[in-house]
Amino acid sequence: MKIGIPRGLWFYDYYPLWKAFYEALGAEVILSSPTNKHILDQGAKNTVDEACLPVKILHGHIIDLRDKVDYIFVPRMMSVYKGEYICPKFCGLPEMVKYSIKNVPPMIDTVINFNKSRKSLMTTIYEFGEYVTKDRKKIDSAYAEALKKYKQYKQSIAEGRIPLNGELMKESCFNGKRGRKTIALMGHSYLIYDNFGSMEIINKLKALNVDILLPEMLDNGRLRDYSDTLEKRMFWSYGRRLMGTAMYLAENKDIDGVIYVSSFGCGIDSIVEELIERRMRSESDIPFLLITLDEHTGEAGVNTRLEAFIDMIDWRRKNEGNLSPYGKSICGN
Amino acid sequence: MKNCYLGIDVGSVSTNVVLMDEDKGIMAKVYTQTQGKPIEAVKRGLKEVRSQVSEEVRVRGVGTTGSGRHLAAMMVGADVIKNEITAHGIAAINFVDGVKTILEIGGQDSKIILLRDGIISDFAMNTVCAAGTGSFLDRQAARLGIPIEDFGEMALKSQAPVRIAGRCAVFAESDMIHKQQLGHNQEDIIKGLCDALVRNFLNNLGKGKEILGPIVFQGGVAANVGIKKSFEEALGTAILVPPHHDVMGAIGCCLMAQEYDMKKNRTSFKGFDIVHSGYQVKGFECNDCSNGCEVIEILRDGQVSARWGDKCGKWNGKLKNEVEKLA
Repeated sequence: MKIGIPRGLWFYDYYPLWKAFYEALGAEVILSSPTNKHILDQGAKNTVDEACLPVKILHGHIIDLRDKVDYIFVPRMMSVYKGEYICPKFCGLPEMVKYSIKNVPPMIDTVINFNKSRKSLMTTIYEFGEYVTKDRKKIDSAYAEALKKYKQYKQSIAEGRIPLNGELMKESCFNGKRGRKTIALMGHSYLIYDNFGSMEIINKLKALNVDILLPEMLDNGRLRDYSDTLEKRMFWSYGRRLMGTAMYLAENKDIDGVIYVSSFGCGIDSIVEELIERRMRSESDIPFLLITLDEHTGEAGVNTRLEAFIDMIDWRRKNEGNLSPYGKSICGN
Repeated sequence: MKNCYLGIDVGSVSTNVVLMDEDKGIMAKVYTQTQGKPIEAVKRGLKEVRSQVSEEVRVRGVGTTGSGRHLAAMMVGADVIKNEITAHGIAAINFVDGVKTILEIGGQDSKIILLRDGIISDFAMNTVCAAGTGSFLDRQAARLGIPIEDFGEMALKSQAPVRIAGRCAVFAESDMIHKQQLGHNQEDIIKGLCDALVRNFLNNLGKGKEILGPIVFQGGVAANVGIKKSFEEALGTAILVPPHHDVMGAIGCCLMAQEYDMKKNRTSFKGFDIVHSGYQVKGFECNDCSNGCEVIEILRDGQVSARWGDKCGKWNGKLKNEVEKLA
């Protein structure tokens, strides 16, 4: 039995878990290709027009897998933490896919909803496993094994290995050399880790000799504690992690700049990005850059903003070190 | 022979070329329409700028900026290739004492740059939407049958500006048409449009930013006195439009080229003769992998002189190898 896992949305957070789980049960797992122009084009053509870029990309991945597999893995991810939701589009994803794309193979669209409690965890796991086997013992041990893989993956990211396109980079993105700039790259993981969708922002920053800090590299529990101090509870899970990261960074200040990558039309970011930007500006003087992405493939706009941002940081640093500001020969009289 | 520096800003709407002498004096400047043909525009700009100076000149350094900066750099042999924000910032710092805020509206871009203690401390550019930039104004002027040069003057004549929706260019246009049909006169509609663009600019880019004086307004749209007036009304303070406001990006390039020259004392400038070269551009889609990159190949007099657009660097790198073999 072939199960296709599309390389989009929850993929970047959870795929080692799902892949190991189904492989341990004896199914063959097929991943869609990393996002490319064709996938983006197909996705954009076959998605409701008001969807955000990552949702369009996911549709492209499903089309990529459509003719290769027996089942496509599109779980209905409602909630993974108590009292929180992920995103309204995640909740309705199986329907969106079903009515937008023709000839979709049967979907594994089990509901993941721990909004009330986690008590139903094992029932959910069995439901996922029963697509392959009815043997609950087998499912138990497959889940235990998958969980191990998943924890390793999380640990590797925490150690600085970026999962670009879901594949862990060989080296940590922390160079460790003194004097290098570190920039926090914030945004929804499925946008940042998608090399094509994010316009190669990670590679571009690396080429500009920047160390990259991602929210996933910080202790999630601590980030959640930070966002719990907000006046009103943040009930979007991605938003909670990002907000916590911003609060942590604004307090600790051991960072040279923050770049927030958002997709055009993201409902959660319309609040969260705004809150984060205000918080960064009112509680720190850390440079902040917002990059909004959509279906563009012309990269000049992103390059200009990134280059100018790095220039600005370099310039500021020189100034702080009481060295001459940019080009003393120009500015000094 | 006079030493000088060359700055080229290839933007979406205009291509600007400036020659600056060693004392930062502007010897010649050209503002020409890009019209979607950046290569022609750069050649035309170079030719015109050269013809404006009668004496012999020696170009000691070249800088390029704007969205076509890499193309221009390849053509002329640039020493410095910089983004527009840094270029505009450096130009303003040098020409306006103590400048703290730069408002810049170009053809497709608008930006706000905050400077503190002579360095850029914050900036913002318009997001995916180009509402309220020069090309939109151009379009509206054409639709109303008014030369864009007279647009600002007409706005100043307005007695009772109408309110136009400014959030989106499409909304603004339909709102303008509806107001026209009600019988409002053109002056009031144009002033209303200026107010709407300024409101949109300050809401989107100025959001949460401390806009302190002296404020400089530059870029092509700074020539529009109507927009300048609307900015002054909205911010409640005088706004300075520098004499060379339309070519500030190119001036920033000259300044950076001068600094590069002081450090390195060499230039890659290929000479003004390149205006006689024939340039051809070929584009093809590489199908060697699923990325399907749109690769651009630039030929100078039949010889491939640059390639870009490939993500993997294969075409780019292949060219370097070929050139090395030839050398």
